[in-house]
Amino acid sequence: MNAVHRPSKAETVSAVPILRTQKLTVRFDEFPAVRDVDLSIADGELRVIIGANGAGKSTLLDLLCGKTLPSEGEIWLRDRNITGIGEAAIARSGVGRKFQTPTVFKDMTVLENLQVASNRRVRVFQNLFDRVKSGPNDKEVAVAERTGLLGSLKRKASELSHGQLQWLELAMVLSQDPKIILLDEPAAGMTAAETDKTAELLLDLAGSHTVLVIEHDMAFVRRICKTITVMHQGAVLAEGTAEEIEGNPAVIEAYLGSATLSHA
Amino acid sequence: MTYRTASIIAYIAFFAVVLALPLVLNSFWTNRVAIYLVYSICAIGISMSWGYAGILSLGQGLFFGMGAYMLAMSLTLAVPENNPVPQLMLLNMEPNAVRDLCCVTTGSFLWIPFRSIAVGMIAGIVVPCILAAGIGYVMFKRRTTGVYVSIITLAFALIGQLLIINNQPLTGGFNGLADLALLEIGGFEFDPYGPSAYYAVALTLIAVILLARYMLTGRIGQVLKAIREDEARARYLGYDVENFKVFIFCVSAGVAGLAGMLFTITSEFATPSLMATSLSISMVIWAATGGRASLLGACVGALIVNFVGSLASESATFQPVWPIILGLLFVFVVLFMPNGIAGIFKAFIERSGRTERLGEARPSGKTERADKSERVQTELTAREA
Repeated sequence: MNAVHRPSKAETVSAVPILRTQKLTVRFDEFPAVRDVDLSIADGELRVIIGANGAGKSTLLDLLCGKTLPSEGEIWLRDRNITGIGEAAIARSGVGRKFQTPTVFKDMTVLENLQVASNRRVRVFQNLFDRVKSGPNDKEVAVAERTGLLGSLKRKASELSHGQLQWLELAMVLSQDPKIILLDEPAAGMTAAETDKTAELLLDLAGSHTVLVIEHDMAFVRRICKTITVMHQGAVLAEGTAEEIEGNPAVIEAYLGSATLSHA
Repeated sequence: MTYRTASIIAYIAFFAVVLALPLVLNSFWTNRVAIYLVYSICAIGISMSWGYAGILSLGQGLFFGMGAYMLAMSLTLAVPENNPVPQLMLLNMEPNAVRDLCCVTTGSFLWIPFRSIAVGMIAGIVVPCILAAGIGYVMFKRRTTGVYVSIITLAFALIGQLLIINNQPLTGGFNGLADLALLEIGGFEFDPYGPSAYYAVALTLIAVILLARYMLTGRIGQVLKAIREDEARARYLGYDVENFKVFIFCVSAGVAGLAGMLFTITSEFATPSLMATSLSISMVIWAATGGRASLLGACVGALIVNFVGSLASESATFQPVWPIILGLLFVFVVLFMPNGIAGIFKAFIERSGRTERLGEARPSGKTERADKSERVQTELTAREA
């Protein structure tokens, strides 16, 4: 499953990180929301970005998925420069984004949501004479099962609970077959049981998928992740394992009195 | 009965009624209903762009009027007295101008291709499509949405109307194009007051409904619905949202252009008032009343509103206040029946389906509400336990 085991040119592929940013910077009215971020995510990695409110975490994801244009710097997906090619093209090249507040197609059923997401023929005329199956195909069943939505396929998205909406959006992103998945606080607003399930899901995804997660809850972070990136005032402050991060003087200073780490 | 079965029955019933009507109508009403069916086609165009893709165009009259003018130009030239140069141009030409379509008035050469009826008929669809593609491309690439789309389309319709009124030597100006020849295809003449024009309209309407339904129940309909629901999400799934919007805006303009041509056939004139704001807004009201997300609903809405409107115009009391009634109807529909007549139909079918099932399960005949509250109660107790 890993790129390393693939025959031919596999070595060169695995040598290149799946996602890489170079001096990524964005300024809003001269204020740098993200500053000189050099990020490198390896294939199959599950990376968590933490940081206080306003540290630039969500803005970083916005840059990666094309929602915001960088003022400077570049974003590379494997060996392709995807800086400024537009949201749709970035999505097609293999970046899947899940937002903090779930964005799904509310007036459509869960199955329809998945069908729209898994349809990889995204051009107008490819869709013109294409019919829609009334039932789910194998792939849709698999992704719905993985996210616990198999029993809700025929329900309208507007009828789902908040936790289910989060999973639906995740299921849609998975249906895209992305090379890398960007998750903005996937457990926000979830009950304890739902959070547990989400953690399991993320651990399950790691390895087969490359995942970049923003998270506040340190207990949750420690459960799911090996490498943590800490952001502070738009820049990367530190990178390392949970233990390294918690022992890092710069991090401690930046977070002094802040609930995020002391709580953990 | 499921909603699906019910709507298929409704479509078949509607087609049957439309096809049977000329058997019972006199020539005056055959012509009137044919015009209402033309309006139904307009409402379908609105339903496609507004109902399915969330693009509310208030300039649909522009495309409708263009369709009407394209065919009217051909039918003007088909009248023997208008050869080689239409009367309206002779009245407006410079004293020493050459009496030829190439240069009798400024821009009169634009009429040359319309000597062929076929060109007029093709242009009636293609020209509105091309214009819509241009407007749509600029609008949607710049990510214009919502009310701004409505304002821009409205402005374009006004521009169109002004261009026609102000270019009298070329367009016939305020009076438009009248005294047209009857459309004749392969020796067959379409009489506006007879069944021939009526069936041309009715069969076109049925074909448009079936094609639109085929398209919108397919993959592209699903994607358009997704774009209507959340444009940004569709983009992050990899869809070039703009292209889909330009496409449906264009198709909707083509449908309006087709309706415009049929209007020329049934009414025997084309005037700048076809591009007036009031007509464009009326089209939206028809679609809203019938149910914007339902093709058949939009059709029926156009028929009902126009039929009632024509009754009102015959009464001295109602005639002057009809525009006010129409405005109030729109407010009422938007506030209280967002899915229009089609929405009421759907709710009715679903409710009767539910009571049928309840009736089988429980002969005691409890009301639906009691049943629901009881179910919630059981769920709550279960959760507490």
